[in-house]
Amino acid sequence: MKEELSVVGKRLPQWAAHDKVTGTAKYIADINLPGTLAGKVLTSPHAHARIKKIDKSKAEKLPGVEAVITWHDIPQKLFNPSVQESILHDSRNEIDDMYILSEKARFAGDLIAAVAAVDEATAEKAIELIDVDYEVLPAVFDPLEAMKPGAPVIHDFAPNNISKHFVFPPSRGDIEQGFKDADVVVEATFQTSKQHMTPIEPCVCISSFDASGKLTVWSSTQRPFAYRTELAELFDIKESMINVICKHLGGGFGEANWSIVPVCVALAKKAKKPVKLEFSRKKSLVDVPTREAYIETGKLGAKKDGTLTALKENVIVHSGAYYNRSAATTVVNMGQFIGLYRCPNVYADMTAVYTNIPTSGGCRGYGTPEACFLLEQLVDMAAEKIGIDPVEMRIKNLKKVGDPSQTGMPIETYTQEKCIRTGAEKIGWKEKRAQKRAKGSKRYGVGMATFFDVSGGQPFEIFDRNMKITLDEDGAAIINTGIPDVGANLPGTAAQIAAEVLGLRYEDIHIVNGNTDDCLWDPGIGANSGLYGVGNVVIKVATELKKQILERAAKNLGVPPDELDIKDRKVYVKADPNKNMTVAEVSKAAIYNHEGQHHHIFAKGWFEPTKNPSPTGAAFADVEVDIETGEIKISKLVFVQDSGRIINPVTVEGQLDGGIACGLGYALFEDYYTNPKTGVLESDNFNTYKIPSSLDLPDTEVILVEEPTPSGPFGAKGVGMCGVVPIAAAIANAVYDAVGIRIKGMPLTPEKVLKAIKSK
Amino acid sequence: MKKEIATFNVNSRSYDVIITPNMTLSELLREKLDLTGTKYACGVGECGACTVLVDGKPVLSCSTLAIAVRNKNILTIEGLANGTNLHPIQQAFIDHGAMQCGFCTPGMIMMTKALLDENPNPTREEVKEGIGGNLCRCTGYVKIIDAVMAVAETMKKGGK
Repeated sequence: MKEELSVVGKRLPQWAAHDKVTGTAKYIADINLPGTLAGKVLTSPHAHARIKKIDKSKAEKLPGVEAVITWHDIPQKLFNPSVQESILHDSRNEIDDMYILSEKARFAGDLIAAVAAVDEATAEKAIELIDVDYEVLPAVFDPLEAMKPGAPVIHDFAPNNISKHFVFPPSRGDIEQGFKDADVVVEATFQTSKQHMTPIEPCVCISSFDASGKLTVWSSTQRPFAYRTELAELFDIKESMINVICKHLGGGFGEANWSIVPVCVALAKKAKKPVKLEFSRKKSLVDVPTREAYIETGKLGAKKDGTLTALKENVIVHSGAYYNRSAATTVVNMGQFIGLYRCPNVYADMTAVYTNIPTSGGCRGYGTPEACFLLEQLVDMAAEKIGIDPVEMRIKNLKKVGDPSQTGMPIETYTQEKCIRTGAEKIGWKEKRAQKRAKGSKRYGVGMATFFDVSGGQPFEIFDRNMKITLDEDGAAIINTGIPDVGANLPGTAAQIAAEVLGLRYEDIHIVNGNTDDCLWDPGIGANSGLYGVGNVVIKVATELKKQILERAAKNLGVPPDELDIKDRKVYVKADPNKNMTVAEVSKAAIYNHEGQHHHIFAKGWFEPTKNPSPTGAAFADVEVDIETGEIKISKLVFVQDSGRIINPVTVEGQLDGGIACGLGYALFEDYYTNPKTGVLESDNFNTYKIPSSLDLPDTEVILVEEPTPSGPFGAKGVGMCGVVPIAAAIANAVYDAVGIRIKGMPLTPEKVLKAIKSK
Repeated sequence: MKKEIATFNVNSRSYDVIITPNMTLSELLREKLDLTGTKYACGVGECGACTVLVDGKPVLSCSTLAIAVRNKNILTIEGLANGTNLHPIQQAFIDHGAMQCGFCTPGMIMMTKALLDENPNPTREEVKEGIGGNLCRCTGYVKIIDAVMAVAETMKKGGK
């Protein structure tokens, strides 16, 4: 690692910022190929129905209609809509249970048929001409009801609607003995909510086959290569005959767009013309998987001095109509629950349950906010029973460097105590906890929560990164990387790291991204993995490129390569910096060498993460609860975060700001709502499903604790998911401090708060 | 459906376009004029991503009929910069990291323009109110508000 850094750590503009502020950045819906047909889908109005008969003949006869497809026209293959799960995961816990178009409707909104026509109006008319004869079946919307004998069966292979049940393998010790050893035992059950991801960009896909049969798919995906593999398998097309493209996507908070993609491809295949399929906001909200809704029961045992003796968690995963990421997110949840603190006896298990509501599937935070919501409230409950400060109880049970983190991999650096103490100081913890504050109908309280997060999916997922960097003639470097731009400025961060290693300027690094034809295999973006994995592969490949530049320059400068270095675009002799040549001159000398051995300087390589350093942090909330209206107002929020070395502070702050906002919505008002009788999603627009606006955000202070982690690129760890994780738990604990209530179901709406206050 | 030719002044350029009475302004911009910088995100005026200026006032182009704005001056994100010189709002958004995925950014910037034209010297609270109808899922708005405050400051010092 360099002593002095000239690009890393600087507040530099986000990659493609100029394109974004001028409206020239192209998102998928902005792409218009000549001769493209408009796609439309027919969805089930019933939450549970068998399709007795489907007649598409009238639709097919409508002039302008070029393709109509139903279950009979699609590959008869089941898949998992998460894509990532079947491709990147250990497949033992995965289930393929979905067709491109359904043979039976399992939720109101399930895709039944699709049309491609010359324009949208014709496609819409054709959809209306498809006759479906449904046999409406009894439906079940509550996971506890769904498990009871006699409940409607949603998938034949799961007669009790339980798709998966297993004990989390890292469970260890003797859990019952752990509770016997405890002086205090607390237990609670919480129902977490099914948060919509709501990227502002609606679902969209364009598919086109060329004359040779090569398929190009433009889709807002976080994982172009996983999409390609899945499409190859579903449609029996060789991977090399598919190009998946996603340069920018309009928000990435989990894989949002999978179910639209194969329908669009099937339409293009049948119509033999390009097809653009766009979902409305309403359809996007029904279709995009949500955060998993859990019924989590936790039990915690502790000694009188606060030392933990036992931690036990049972999670009922409310999957909805399809399994998707039920295990993947919940494994992360259980890892967090049993792994955040030192504890000798830990146990967790999960049961995934189908119902007839829209599908869940891994949203920002990925099981961790839910685990935090349960565990961190249990810690507060135990601390109260014991009579110890919750801050001190947490610090007593913190892990140490070298302990296994929540992923089971060793902790490299650990500043959790500093994060907690800093936050406590900033919020005025001691003074505020010492007194019961009240004014009129207002009651005040402070609460906190702490957490671990990840820097990638290892050891659960494949996350090796492959990359090529080419030195252009003019001395610029071009990075080819399979990552799309989800908004977290990973391309810019990669460029900063490359510039630092190569001795170039930030603006010298160009990124070609999100295109499976142009880039080497990459797992995509998710699980805080980008910076750690991509940053490390950039260092590896850029270091190799630099070596080649120096070797080439050595021939011209007449000194051995190890006597050279690069700074600010110049290769110079370390002992005599006046003896130098520009990197552009080196590149040109390599390409246009008339004496032979001319070549383009480029390097490629891969990085396989064998570690997974945990970003850590703590959130503190100072809240005001109105006991007459039940309203919760956050007066102040302090968020302390250790994400290792900061490559670009603007990016890291922005990631945390956005995560915190997402956490506030999740905690307080984002309320997924399906009609209890019909299962139809009613929170299907931005009026009925409110996400935070600029007016909803409290005074927030973000503090970065910068402790470089040994295995990270320049010491960096992940950050993108962290903001959302502790917010709901910290607010819930603050509300308890203010008014002494614990709400069993999220979000903490005024109605629920008022009801709990009244029944106290 | 009945079609007619209408004239639209977009970004100081005049266009004659064949339209139907039900065509929205966002459809006109995105599909007829290829000005895809204006985003379509909710279709019912709930998110602000499609905001453009019509005679200087912010308008939700997804919920405005094209026919209603013919012969009026329409300004979209593509018309904001002066050639290659970015508008100070655009520059401030870059400098302050006021965008992430960038999908809401064109609408946010156009709303900011309307806000600052109306009130060149806003308080932080006024900025929050001004952009209160423009949803962003990425940023948590902090850096957007910082950018708007900074550009107000710059414009005060250096003029437009």
